[in-house]
Amino acid sequence: MEARTASLGSQLGWRLWALVPVLALALAVGAVVTGGSRLVDLVGTNPPPADEFDIRRVEFRPGELRIVVRNPQRDDLTIANVNVDDAIVPFTVEGSATLGRLRSATIVVPFDWVEGDPISVGVTSSTGIQTVEEIPAAVATPEPSARGFLGYALIGGLVGILPVALGLLWLPALRRASAAWLSGFMAFTAGLLVFLGLDALSEAFEQQAALPPGLGGSGLVLLGVALSFLGMTALAGRLGGGGTAAGVALALLVSIGIGVHNFGEGLAIGASFAVGELQLGTFLIVGFMVHNVTEGLGIAAPVARSRVTLLALAGLVLVAGAPTILGAWLGGYTSSDVLAALFFGLAAGAAFQVVVEVGRYVAHNAPGGLRSPHAIVGFLAGIAVMYATGILAG
Amino acid sequence: MAKKRLTRGRLLAAAAPLAAAPLVGKLALDGRETAAHDHAGHGSARVPASHAGGVRGHAAMVGAEAPAVGGPRDLDALLYPPPALPYRPGRVRAYELVAVDAELEIAPGVFFPAWTYNGTVPGPVIRATEDDLLRVRFRNEGSHPHTIHFHGIHPANMDGVFEIVAPGEELTYEFPARPAGFHLYHCHATPLKKHIHKGLYGAFIIDPREPRPPAQELVMVMNGFDTDGDGENNFYTVNGRSFYYARYPIRVRRSQLVRVYLANLTEFDLVNSFHLHADFFRYQPNGTGQHWEYTDTVMQCQGQRGVLEIEFTGTGLHMFHAHQSEFAELGWMGFFEVVD
Repeated sequence: MEARTASLGSQLGWRLWALVPVLALALAVGAVVTGGSRLVDLVGTNPPPADEFDIRRVEFRPGELRIVVRNPQRDDLTIANVNVDDAIVPFTVEGSATLGRLRSATIVVPFDWVEGDPISVGVTSSTGIQTVEEIPAAVATPEPSARGFLGYALIGGLVGILPVALGLLWLPALRRASAAWLSGFMAFTAGLLVFLGLDALSEAFEQQAALPPGLGGSGLVLLGVALSFLGMTALAGRLGGGGTAAGVALALLVSIGIGVHNFGEGLAIGASFAVGELQLGTFLIVGFMVHNVTEGLGIAAPVARSRVTLLALAGLVLVAGAPTILGAWLGGYTSSDVLAALFFGLAAGAAFQVVVEVGRYVAHNAPGGLRSPHAIVGFLAGIAVMYATGILAG
Repeated sequence: MAKKRLTRGRLLAAAAPLAAAPLVGKLALDGRETAAHDHAGHGSARVPASHAGGVRGHAAMVGAEAPAVGGPRDLDALLYPPPALPYRPGRVRAYELVAVDAELEIAPGVFFPAWTYNGTVPGPVIRATEDDLLRVRFRNEGSHPHTIHFHGIHPANMDGVFEIVAPGEELTYEFPARPAGFHLYHCHATPLKKHIHKGLYGAFIIDPREPRPPAQELVMVMNGFDTDGDGENNFYTVNGRSFYYARYPIRVRRSQLVRVYLANLTEFDLVNSFHLHADFFRYQPNGTGQHWEYTDTVMQCQGQRGVLEIEFTGTGLHMFHAHQSEFAELGWMGFFEVVD
């Protein structure tokens, strides 16, 4: 009894001691804050704030421009003047014209813009600093409608679900393939996923680089990668029953990895199209279809030696392909660059984790393991095919 | 500067020609045909989405709709010059100019850290009759060395080039006013471009021995403000506030001669101009000599100036602005309100 109390005391004790640095830090912070600018004055003068806005989005509505701006700096920033094509224009601000740190507002400008023409938008702060956004071509911003909703769903289905389903038609062929060839195709899946993961990662960093420094640097991306990698590891452990995931379980993991990536792809398509940066032509859609058909192959390979129902296959297709539709909806009708950066980080982490699972499977089951020529060539082929077909989606 | 969203697409697009298989070519062609078809559809079939609103632009930039700073009489001291005095050689005309740094609101909510004579940009109008003895006491209460360089005929040591006046010091310029005409004064400390575009300039009228015919007299100094320091003006104004005379039209009478002393002190841009709507005027370059041009548009280089005489034919709002459309839409636009 006494020993137990003592151990409780010592347990409480270390927690209390752990608070000491926190309290000391609070005191130090207080001292610096009350000191004001005196500390900086010792070494020089602070430069004035940049007073530049972060122009996040320019929407083209009938007879109207809507400019979404954010204050990326520590000091307040006031919207004082708005130019369109180097001309001062009347405007109203939805919300406060003075923006606190990382606050956003929407500027509404009545304006007869010319469809297809380049246009520049300038927002001037009260200190006279003008931030200019050049838009290559003015295109009407789509507004949410049943038609548009359905359209994005169809496009998402065409570039996401259909090719994955078509890719699964390789299953009968794979079933007849030798073990060596099958391990080659599994390695092909790993190569494909590495490609997708790296693609998502570079997109995540690109998105993050466009964010104001106040919204977290590369840590945001790392957080996304780590979260999904660990989440997928836990899921793989559960699906694999403690051992190496195989069969439908492994196919599900691959599907999830691909699905998270395809969500990002849909997001990018929807967002780029909505801001007039993407020509959503036949060429692009067909390009994405060819690009994504290999993803179906990636899902088929793990189940080549297992019994699997048609329903399960359909489920796998939906897990991998349907997120494209969700992404296209989200990208087309909303804009959140913070979520996008985080999201592409998540996609990268998921893809990399599935690479680990597939690699483990190949190491255990392939004749010759990871060093077999089939595995090496398959892995390289996965990357090469994704790269080559990716050109079509460019 | 546009954000790039579909990065992989762009990256790969650059590599596409390398791998352009026949299939790719075929697909590309199909895509192009579709795009061309879509485009043709725009022109004929439907009203462009951009035109759903009503009349916009300058038509709306009048009265309360015009984005200008301040109240209706704020710039009267700059617009209406002191009266001309009859010719009397040797009479002393004393002025005091003080260089002060001032934060000026040049457009609604936009503040410019200016260097000024007496707190305004342009500075006060200096007026004398030919052969008056001009005595201008200059005190520098600004943060940088300044001078006053007058255009006109005067001793070389009264030129505001060599006699730099340090902050806290003062200097009195004294010389006979000549020749008759419309001139300028401005700071000539270096760097010259900086000292001028910061706002150290003003109008300088020397009335001739034979007085000009009676008229409603106005002074208009054209200028610009580079608020973000990129060597290009962000705002253009007359007498220092963008769109001010669009918001508060200058009221004149149809029965009365209107005389405008017009000067160009715009920095960075080579020329500025004045264009009058719905009427013509006579223009006398520099306010000297006998040559008058009959026109509705005059162009002035940096530092050029002249005298306009207008007899309005009709009543109502007569627009005036720089005929450089860019300047007009960045604030250099206003109206005469002609009444009976």
